[in-house]
Amino acid sequence: MAFVGELAEKYNTVSIVGMAKNSGKTTALNYLLEEAYDEGLLCAVTSTGRDGETTDLVTTTEKPKVYLFSDSIVSVPEQLYELAETGLEILRRTQYRTALGNVLICRVAESGYVQIAGPGSIREHKRLCDDMRSYGCDIVFIDGAIDRKSIAAPESSDAIILATGAVISRSLKVVVEETVHIVNLYRTPVLEDEEARSIFEKEDKGVYRILAMDDEYRVKDPGVRTALGAGSTLDSIIDEHTRYLYIPGAFTESIVGGINPKKLRNITLVLPDPTRIFIGATRWQQLLKRGMKLRVMENIEVAAVTVNPYAPAGYHFDHEQLRSAVADALGDVPVFDVRAGGLE
Amino acid sequence: MSKTTAVSKVDLTKIMPYGDTMNDGQVQMSFTLPVPDGDEAWEAARQLARKMGLDEPNVVYHRDLGIGYTYMIVYGKCTHSVDYTKIHVTKVESNVMDRMECIKYMEDHFNRPVVVVGASTGTDAHTVGIDAIMNMKGFHGHFGLERYTGMTAINMGSQVPNEELIAKAIELKADAILVSQTVTQKDVHITNLTNMVELCEAEGIRDKILLLCGGPRISHELAQELGFDAGFGPETYADHVASYILQELVERKRV
Repeated sequence: MAFVGELAEKYNTVSIVGMAKNSGKTTALNYLLEEAYDEGLLCAVTSTGRDGETTDLVTTTEKPKVYLFSDSIVSVPEQLYELAETGLEILRRTQYRTALGNVLICRVAESGYVQIAGPGSIREHKRLCDDMRSYGCDIVFIDGAIDRKSIAAPESSDAIILATGAVISRSLKVVVEETVHIVNLYRTPVLEDEEARSIFEKEDKGVYRILAMDDEYRVKDPGVRTALGAGSTLDSIIDEHTRYLYIPGAFTESIVGGINPKKLRNITLVLPDPTRIFIGATRWQQLLKRGMKLRVMENIEVAAVTVNPYAPAGYHFDHEQLRSAVADALGDVPVFDVRAGGLE
Repeated sequence: MSKTTAVSKVDLTKIMPYGDTMNDGQVQMSFTLPVPDGDEAWEAARQLARKMGLDEPNVVYHRDLGIGYTYMIVYGKCTHSVDYTKIHVTKVESNVMDRMECIKYMEDHFNRPVVVVGASTGTDAHTVGIDAIMNMKGFHGHFGLERYTGMTAINMGSQVPNEELIAKAIELKADAILVSQTVTQKDVHITNLTNMVELCEAEGIRDKILLLCGGPRISHELAQELGFDAGFGPETYADHVASYILQELVERKRV
C-alpha cells in the first residue's frame, strides 16, 4: 500500500512539522497529495501560516506551490480567495479570524494551485479540522509554518511528519543530532502512574495550574500563574515528599535552571505534551545525565521523517548519505528523501 | 538610437522608473566596492549594474574611501517593468482612528483599562521602534500609547527574552503583546518571532491575547505567516496599533 494509504487508515489528522524554514514541508505535502490522488483518497488541507505563494516572504526565494486536486477541501482566508488560480466553491465562512480576513472552508472545483492559510491558534485549528472533516474526507493535512512546532501537539493532530534538512546546518552531524533530539522529545514516555494521571486530568480544566503531588497523591498549588521565570518559586514548594511536579505550560531554561539539581533528581516532572519543551539538544542531554526525569500526559506519534538534502544557502548533502544517517540514528521511523523519488 | 519613445500617458500594466520622460527607466544607485578607486573599479561597477538589469550604466561620481574601498554613484536605465494593476498588498483591515478618537472609543466600549505590554525582544538592542509606538512622546507628531487615557501601556525596553515578556503579559492579564524587531542579523528575527508564538501556544494563552509585531522588515503578510495577529511596518504609528487592538478586541467581544 502507498504510504499515504497507511496514514489515512491510522490517522484522521496529520501535521507536517518543519525543523526549520526551507526544510521541505511543502514538497512533502505535494507528494502526499499526489499519492492520495492516485489512491483515490480525498484530502483536506490547512496551514498554520500561509502556503502556496510563489515567492518566500522572508528570503524572497522561489518556493513550491501547493497543487490541489479537484474535490479537495481547503481553508482559505478571504483576502487570499481572489488570488486562487483555480475555482473554489465556498462551503462555509467560519468565525476564525486571521490577519488576511476570516477563514473560508472551500471545495476545489478544478485542480490547480491554491494559497492556503488557516487560523493562528492551535485550538482554533483543531476545531477547523473537525469542521473540514465533516465535509467528508479521508485525511486532513496541516502544513506547519516556518519552524513552528506547536502544531505537533496531540491536541491538534493524531500524528506528524517531521521535515528536516540541510538548511539546519552545514554539518551533517548537527543535522542528525538536532533531528534526533526533536524525535526523542516527541517520543518522551507518557506518565504511567494511573492514579496520578487521573488526578492531573481532573485538576487541569483549561486553567493554568501548577501542581505538586506528594507520595500520597495529595496535590498542592503554589498559586503562580506561569512557571516562566518562576523556577525558584517551584524549587521552594518541592520537599522530600514531593513525587511529581505538573507544569501545564512551557518548560524552559528559566524554569529548570531555578530548581536545585538535587531536588530535580528526586521528582518526576510532568508536562501535557512534548511541544511544551523549549530546551536545546546539548542542554537536554546534560539534564538527563544529571538524573532529570520527565513524563508527558500524551506524546507525539512521528509517522515519518522527511529529509531535504538542499539548503537555500547553496550547499547540499549526498541524498543517500543524509537519508541513511538520519534513518540509522532514528531506528524504527521511516525516513524519506523529498527531493529523490518521493516517499515510497 | 534610443529604444524609448517619449509618451506622456502612463501604461499601468508596465510601469518603469521615471527620470525626465515617461518610461525612460532612469535609476540612480550608490554602492561601495572593496577595490581601490580607478578605471578598473568604475568598470566593475558598470558590469555589476548591467547584471542588475540596467542599460547604459554610467559612473557619475566616485570617491576613494581609503584602505582600498571606493564609493560610487551609478546611473542606468532599468530594463524591467512591473504590472501595477496586478499588485495586491494585504493590509491591516481596521479604520485608523487618531488618539482622541481611540480614547472616545475606549470610553464607549470598555469599562476597564486596555492593557498592552511591549518590548524589543531577543538579541535586538534597539528601542527606537517600540519607543515610537509606546512612549509618551511618540514619534513624528503621533503620541505613544502611554498617552492614551484608558490604556495601560508597559514598555519593557530592549533585549527582553520572550519568556519575560510573556510572564509579564500573564501577570498583568494583558490584552495585547507588542514585539518590536528593529535590527537583527541573518533573519534571526524570524526564529525569535516564531519562538514567541510557540511559547504563547505552550502557555495556553495564544487564543486569549492579541499578538502584534512591528519593525522595518515586518509586513502584515509576514506577520500572518509567522502566526501573529497583525504586523506593522514602516510608516505606522501608535494610532494604527491602538486602532487595530481596540477594534479587534471589540470584534472578539473581549471588552
